[in-house]
Amino acid sequence: MAELEQQLTTLGAGLDWPPTPDLAGRIHLPASRGGGAQRRWGGASSIYVERRWTLAAVAVLIALAALAAYPPSRDAIANWLNVHTTIQRVPHLATPSPQPPGPLGERLGLGGRTTLAGARKQVAWPIALPSSLGQPDEVYLQLPPDGPLQGEVTLVYSSRPDIPISGETGVALLVTEARGAVDTNFFGKMLGPGTTLEDVAVAGHQGYWIAGAPNVFFFTDVNGDVRNETMRLATNTLILDEGGTVVRIEGNLTKAQALQVAASLG
Amino acid sequence: MEGRPEDDSELFARAQRGEAAAYEEIVRRYQQLAFRTAYMITGSAAEAEDAAQDGFMKAYSALDGFRSGAPPRPWLLRIVANEARNRVRSTQRRLGLELRLAEGFRPGDAAPSPEAASVAAEDRDRLLRFVNALGEDDRLVITSRYFLELSGEETAAALGIPEGTVKSRLARALARLRAKLEEATRG
Repeated sequence: MAELEQQLTTLGAGLDWPPTPDLAGRIHLPASRGGGAQRRWGGASSIYVERRWTLAAVAVLIALAALAAYPPSRDAIANWLNVHTTIQRVPHLATPSPQPPGPLGERLGLGGRTTLAGARKQVAWPIALPSSLGQPDEVYLQLPPDGPLQGEVTLVYSSRPDIPISGETGVALLVTEARGAVDTNFFGKMLGPGTTLEDVAVAGHQGYWIAGAPNVFFFTDVNGDVRNETMRLATNTLILDEGGTVVRIEGNLTKAQALQVAASLG
Repeated sequence: MEGRPEDDSELFARAQRGEAAAYEEIVRRYQQLAFRTAYMITGSAAEAEDAAQDGFMKAYSALDGFRSGAPPRPWLLRIVANEARNRVRSTQRRLGLELRLAEGFRPGDAAPSPEAASVAAEDRDRLLRFVNALGEDDRLVITSRYFLELSGEETAAALGIPEGTVKSRLARALARLRAKLEEATRG
């Protein structure tokens, strides 16, 4: 080995790397891989304990509780943070907040805007439409490399009766579809504090109702690769394995509403 | 043989058959390498921890796709490194990795070759400074090969490039580093 290479190897032995976390102690796997025996996550059956997120969530809750307290506390917090603004309590949620600028697809990372017909031309699989919602207001298509193999189609429903608009998006519902399969191994990762999972069946298809605000979604694409995607609305979500297509219905809707939408897919 | 550590292929075969304990042993065995590889890419210990953890989860889920008898390190490194790169992409920021020497490090302790032992402390600091100052491609390939001691195949997997590119990139990186060192010596 040349001298420089020897010096580099020697140098490598003396580097001050950050301490390696105990990942083995943190990843708890089900007793057997595959199969549907262990779909419930949390507590002893959790495959994944996200300690950092839990601590962060606790810290946020403490901070929010402090902010919701008396004005002197709020002023004190503002002083600590060197934020010289008055923090005011909002008596009720505004509906809906003004939308941030930019096209919806870009803001939510949905891909390029297209039409239903355009999307159907570009993907080789049938796009399921929930007839109970009528025609989507907008359609987006995300192709590889940003999207999964065989693409991902998102149907946007800007407003529908009895379904509130989600946050600042101006959107009531998103129905996202991609070829692949739901990967239950990752449900532990998807479920944060205050989020619950329930198995449901819709017209003979396996489904999962996630109540709360899941932020991330995992599924296996047609190539067997696991993909993780950000939940666009971080609202209640119904996930369905619809004959080789993973359908995700996101929105501030109740379980009954979500099941009704899912049952009308066709 | 009693007490002999189980080899990787046996462990992976057991994990593929669904033995969780075998996979936990794989994680234990490779967590340091996975974490450091992710750290090299993200430049952040927190991001590296998440990337390595998610990488191991994805690898677990994808065990069926692991070809029996294939070397597991490149396979695992590819998954973890992809996860690390995805995190860099999604956060749209890349922290400059600045490696440091451990306090009190003496080369003779770790690699007792006479040639290595002769490298003075000042020279080691200078060498590391020059490595840190290299362009990203050069720094990554040198870190992979010499600091993480990855093979060519493993480096290719970690960096997401063909093995042939590893060789040419490494040769160029070493040439640039050597030129910098010679220039500094002359100056």
